[in-house]
Amino acid sequence: MGEFKSGFFMSESACNGRVLVVDDEPDIRKVVRMTLQKAGYEVIEAENGEKAIEAINTGENRLLLDVLVCDIRMPKINGVEAIAYFQQEWPRVPIIVLTGFPDTDMATTFLRSGVVDYLVKPVEGEKLRTAVARAMEQRELARL
Amino acid sequence: MNTSPTKIAIVGAGKGGIALLELLHQIPDVEIVGIADKDPTAPGLKRARDLNVQVAERVQDLIQNHGVNLIMDVTGDPSMGPLIHATKRPGSEVLSGAATRLLWNLVQHQSKLEAELFQADKLAGLGSFAAGIAHDINNPLQLILGLAENLTDEQDLDVVHEQARDITEAVKRTSALCRDLTSYARRDGAGEVVPVNLNMKMDEALKIARYAVTLQDITVVKHYAEAATVIGNPDELLHVFVNLITNAVQAITKRGTLTLQTTVGPDGGVSASVSDTGCGIPKESFSKIFEPLYTTKPPGKGTGLGLYNVMSVISKMEGHICVESDVGVGTTFRIEFPQVQPTMPCAPL
Repeated sequence: MGEFKSGFFMSESACNGRVLVVDDEPDIRKVVRMTLQKAGYEVIEAENGEKAIEAINTGENRLLLDVLVCDIRMPKINGVEAIAYFQQEWPRVPIIVLTGFPDTDMATTFLRSGVVDYLVKPVEGEKLRTAVARAMEQRELARL
Repeated sequence: MNTSPTKIAIVGAGKGGIALLELLHQIPDVEIVGIADKDPTAPGLKRARDLNVQVAERVQDLIQNHGVNLIMDVTGDPSMGPLIHATKRPGSEVLSGAATRLLWNLVQHQSKLEAELFQADKLAGLGSFAAGIAHDINNPLQLILGLAENLTDEQDLDVVHEQARDITEAVKRTSALCRDLTSYARRDGAGEVVPVNLNMKMDEALKIARYAVTLQDITVVKHYAEAATVIGNPDELLHVFVNLITNAVQAITKRGTLTLQTTVGPDGGVSASVSDTGCGIPKESFSKIFEPLYTTKPPGKGTGLGLYNVMSVISKMEGHICVESDVGVGTTFRIEFPQVQPTMPCAPL
């Protein structure tokens, strides 16, 4: 259930960037949305890798998506596959992994592949917002 | 070497008699001719009837049986030895006193070892589920943390109430998960033999074995027959299915289907099968998979005790297990259970 909020309804000042949150659990998408909206980010959601790929290829998201926050274990297309796709097709969109797996090997592999952060749930709101802010900076640099 | 079967008469149907029944009836070259006890209510007599072992009314009748070539006295009654020696047929040997105690100790030791192997396999299995368990605890924790942080400055009272309820629900879900796991880990496998609904057991096992799933996308298909019930130890059967389902999901690397099936044949025979569309087992490994300590899993993922324990449980139930597998196509483990024979309450003839 991708929810594509148009930037149309956002006040100019409130939007610090657009984040795509990919997680198969609606509850997790809900709290991540709440957490990021507090820092003025616009949040769109996707429930698995397949929907995430659909989302980035939809409408203005191609141009306006700034950061991807992605879970790993999901049905259909999982996080590993989705992240590989984003790194290949959208190399300028920084990626933050947000997962329940405290797996150091997986973290190392992802960080080496270029993801900005590997966060293990539960993550405090402030830590998540800081990670997204850092990713946003990277996105700005990529635009130069 | 004499290959004719040892034909045994068991004298005494207390703890020792039961242990001998349990052990000896599984050994192919041993035939239990019968069992006798002075006390008609001795617990081993009921077990003997369940195992279709003849129960003799008098000790003398049993030990004079022409087929008997070994008499095992586990009564611990000092007057029994002279009685046996006075009435037994020449040529039949007697094992009593210290010799049967030693045998009894060996049996105890053997069953203790088996119980330990069973528990070791279960705990090692839980270790390999650690990542999956952490995942399923960390998700509700994320929800709880996110909501709690929001509640510190939430102004809308309706939202506060709703989120407090969400937190309570998330805590309940997490504690249910911990409860399932600790009760699975704690089971000692020494429980009673009772009617067990295989469909419910498979579902219960699936809840635990799904922690073995990391990144695979697995579709679960169930074909359950109604009234698929067998007589067995529920904890042991749970462990059997956890093992088979864990193997099945670990055999699937990316995407696949796990099929759980139970059938009840026209003759009342019950079977259960676990199939996967995973990597398959090469033909040359078929003979090894039930051997103890044989494993193809990476360190930390398998002990090599899983299928060995599965086989032990199923053999003890006098069931059969068979495997069909094609490399690259998948594997099916199918267990056929003996027909359920309802134990009739003792009724006057």
